[in-house]
Amino acid sequence: MPLDTSKGDHDYPIPAGVFAETVTSVDHYTDRLFKFRITRPASFRFRSGEFVMIGLPNAEKPVFRAYSIASPSWDEELEFYSIKVPDGPLTEHLQKIKVGDTVLMRKKPTGTLVNDALLPGKRLWMFSTGTGIAPFASLFRDPETYEKFDEVVLTQTCREVAELRYGQDLVAELKDDPLVGEFAHGLRHYCTVTREDYRFQGRITDLMSSGKVFDDLGLPLITPDTDRGMICGSMDMLRDTKAMLEQFGLIEGANNRPDTFVVERAFVD
Amino acid sequence: MIISYVVTTACIDCKYENCFEVCPVDCFYEAANMIVINTEECIDCGVCEPECPVDVIKPDMIDVAGMWIALNQKFAEQWLDICQKGDPPADVDELGQKTDKLALLAEAPA
Repeated sequence: MPLDTSKGDHDYPIPAGVFAETVTSVDHYTDRLFKFRITRPASFRFRSGEFVMIGLPNAEKPVFRAYSIASPSWDEELEFYSIKVPDGPLTEHLQKIKVGDTVLMRKKPTGTLVNDALLPGKRLWMFSTGTGIAPFASLFRDPETYEKFDEVVLTQTCREVAELRYGQDLVAELKDDPLVGEFAHGLRHYCTVTREDYRFQGRITDLMSSGKVFDDLGLPLITPDTDRGMICGSMDMLRDTKAMLEQFGLIEGANNRPDTFVVERAFVD
Repeated sequence: MIISYVVTTACIDCKYENCFEVCPVDCFYEAANMIVINTEECIDCGVCEPECPVDVIKPDMIDVAGMWIALNQKFAEQWLDICQKGDPPADVDELGQKTDKLALLAEAPA
């Protein structure tokens, strides 16, 4: 097995079945959120919306955690969006990474938040809280999403305004992107905040039951005839949003039996 | 709080085998007539749960999961890691609907 001797505290052998990639950029947003990009192995293929297991070469048996790939399937690098947990077994160390460091990635991508798991439809709703936006950052930058759906609505709910920044920057950049900018007109971005003043406030489920989100966007109520859903957030948010979509008549699907909405928990550690 | 998922009764003698293909940590182990999850390797991502056509995979926090947590872990330690999808039995649809199959579980490794 190759020995990674690039850093003093990282000279453990790379485990079998794992890629060792190099950090190409790191951006910190708040004291709880950061983004990093790594090189992409030539043989690595994935579908936008999938996640992989990420770790650091800092132990005989390193800790791995699931991370949604935040970059679209066509990108030459891989992007990840992470929370920082003070004593988190992985993020305590991961949050300190620098350009040139080694990051480990297991070889098998997987997940439920993929275009394949949904039946064709007119409008895709992506419901996210916190770092749950990561798989959607991949999907809304993938032309395939716009081939499948005429309209894409991304809802992003965070506790504070500063936490919306990652998503807002990406959506703004999308419009000027030479590769996918022309599709950007199909994307609507609805941001809400729960703990600060902001023009849109509250939990997305409350905004759906009151109808405010539909009024604000000028869209009809969700119906299985035209709408499809993807949900990524905390366990509580998943439970509540799933119940809301089921009230609208949508049914949960999977890779092997596509239907009208899919769910995946946002991994936090 | 979910710590793991477990495979339950209806898998015995059924084995659709859709589950392990989506597992990011390859924690499924198989023997002659059942597949189980190594509950210590499972990261409870939940991707496998909706993949099973017969809905046998459950999160460990639900009541009926009780004995299945121990059973899954016990056999995962004895059986082989499943990595190649085989063909399910010809009458898999019918077998999946049968309940009360615990007595049929073949405990020997494949």
